[in-house]
Amino acid sequence: MKRIKISGLALKNLRRKFVRTAVLLLLVAVVTGTLLGATIFISGMRNALKIGTYRLGADVLVVPEKNEAQAKAALLSGEPTSFFMDRSVYDSVKNIEGVKRASPQLFIKPASFTCCYNVEAFLVAFDPASDFTVTPWLQKNLKKPLIDNDVITGSSLPVLKGDSLPFFGTLFNVVGTMEPTGMKFFDQSVFMTMDAAYAMAANSKTKSMQPIDIDTSKISAVMVQVQENFTPDRVAIRIEHSVNGVKAIASDEVVSNVRRQLAGLLKGILGISALLWVISLLMMGFAFYMIVNERQRELGLLRAMGAKRAQIFALILNEAVLISVTGGLFGIAVGFSLLLAFKDIMIKSLKLPYLLPSGDILIELVFGAILFSIITGLLASLLPAASASRMEPYEAIRKGE
Amino acid sequence: MIEVRHIIKSYTIDGQTLKAVDGVSFSIKKGEVLSIIGHSGSGKTTLLSLIGGLTRPDSGEVVIDGTNIWAMGDNSLSEFRNRKISFIYQFASLIPTLTALENIMLPTAFGHYGADTEQYARELLGLMGLENKTNSYPSHLSGGQQRRIAIARAFINRPEIVLADEPTGDLDEDTEEEVIRLFTSMNQDQQVTFIIVTHNRDIAAKTQRQLTMSNGVVSELVK
Repeated sequence: MKRIKISGLALKNLRRKFVRTAVLLLLVAVVTGTLLGATIFISGMRNALKIGTYRLGADVLVVPEKNEAQAKAALLSGEPTSFFMDRSVYDSVKNIEGVKRASPQLFIKPASFTCCYNVEAFLVAFDPASDFTVTPWLQKNLKKPLIDNDVITGSSLPVLKGDSLPFFGTLFNVVGTMEPTGMKFFDQSVFMTMDAAYAMAANSKTKSMQPIDIDTSKISAVMVQVQENFTPDRVAIRIEHSVNGVKAIASDEVVSNVRRQLAGLLKGILGISALLWVISLLMMGFAFYMIVNERQRELGLLRAMGAKRAQIFALILNEAVLISVTGGLFGIAVGFSLLLAFKDIMIKSLKLPYLLPSGDILIELVFGAILFSIITGLLASLLPAASASRMEPYEAIRKGE
Repeated sequence: MIEVRHIIKSYTIDGQTLKAVDGVSFSIKKGEVLSIIGHSGSGKTTLLSLIGGLTRPDSGEVVIDGTNIWAMGDNSLSEFRNRKISFIYQFASLIPTLTALENIMLPTAFGHYGADTEQYARELLGLMGLENKTNSYPSHLSGGQQRRIAIARAFINRPEIVLADEPTGDLDEDTEEEVIRLFTSMNQDQQVTFIIVTHNRDIAAKTQRQLTMSNGVVSELVK
């Protein structure tokens, strides 16, 4: 048997005013999409920060005092850089109280890199004997140390295991690729041993058009892991106090700076989203007020046929929920599209790490977005629905004439 | 049985209080057909709405089968309307987004109806001579056809009381005759009580009782 249902009536009512319904759908879609896109973007940055910081594994990074900004830029946005200091810094740092482990690294900006299209690669050389940042990954995934001209590459570089990469006249063999971290410092880097880096520098004088001058007395940074009963801040101060001309950057400091930036960004995005939301709430509220007003007679007729107040209330809310859910689904598509379209531009301009959140979190965010759009629709239609349900049938029929 | 007891309904327009229905009392037996005649603005439609539970009186009672409907809660009154009362209006009262069949079945969305409802709706469409308009939308129907569908809808709940406000207003003579025949048949076969507000003295003459209404007051015409 054919049955007339309140939800069916609501759907037909929405179809009747197609343009208005489409505008309302678009409104919900834009608000939901903006909010979802922004939330996924912020989550992605937080995610990258969490994974990247974990992967960094160092509590303190010791760099030449004058290169502090470059070092931070290298860590956070993977900007290739070259700076050097004397190896004696490493010898001094490893003996400072509170330092559990220390390991030197070399940061080298390639003069030219023709293999990887427009991806900027960054050369990071580590000391296998003392390293605690790259070696754990090697042990877990490669199950053997790097030898000679072996390198491992970050996930963003378009090279595969077995490929050869030329740097400063030396060919390196790619023996593995790291999983994505969202931090360009890892994702766009080529990791090699310090011995290989020094040999490459020595060879560059005869084999490269753009030789580099690095001898074994030079390092770029010292990665430090602090003892359990010391805080990174305290050890950083001790290092700066004990060794001249260096800056000891606690990883907390880097992370908290990013967190501050993120918080500012979040406030901005939330402010815009809140404004959009209030506007959409008011517009939808006004639209539903109009819907109820122009259908007074019709609603009065339904009441005369025996519709209860709750059924009239449900009819209006049904229309709001239909608009909200459909608009919300469009919004999710819009949100993902906006994210894909502007992600790279935003990352580049913000200079912050980014890694798409995991599937579970994405599903949560998508459900959250639908719930948010439903709540918006319900809030916007609540007063008009209540007013519609309270109308006396005869008054509604008369006023609607 | 319907008993209207000392019912008063007034409206305030531009600061002035006007009594649309002024202390009206009368009663109708089950299965009776009553017409109310009067000029525009005499309070006929308001009286019909008071009897049908659509607008609350300032004072007085409407007692149907022993129950004062204005003592009921809103939900009970809505259910009561859905089960026992139907209205026929003097204006086009179809929902534009529903087909003819759906419009007739619309009251069933608000109550519990049997599986034979659709069949009955189709029968009513047939009685109105509109069996070929089942899936037509109101915008594709003439004014007269729309009125006939609204009349068919008034019977879908097998009402005990039909309150009709100028039910044949814009129908041609033949259709008007058919509608009157339907009313008569419903009255005779199912003991449906009719209260018909009309300007048409010919229709009024065919009813068992006639009331005239003027300035909110009714008086009975003795045949």
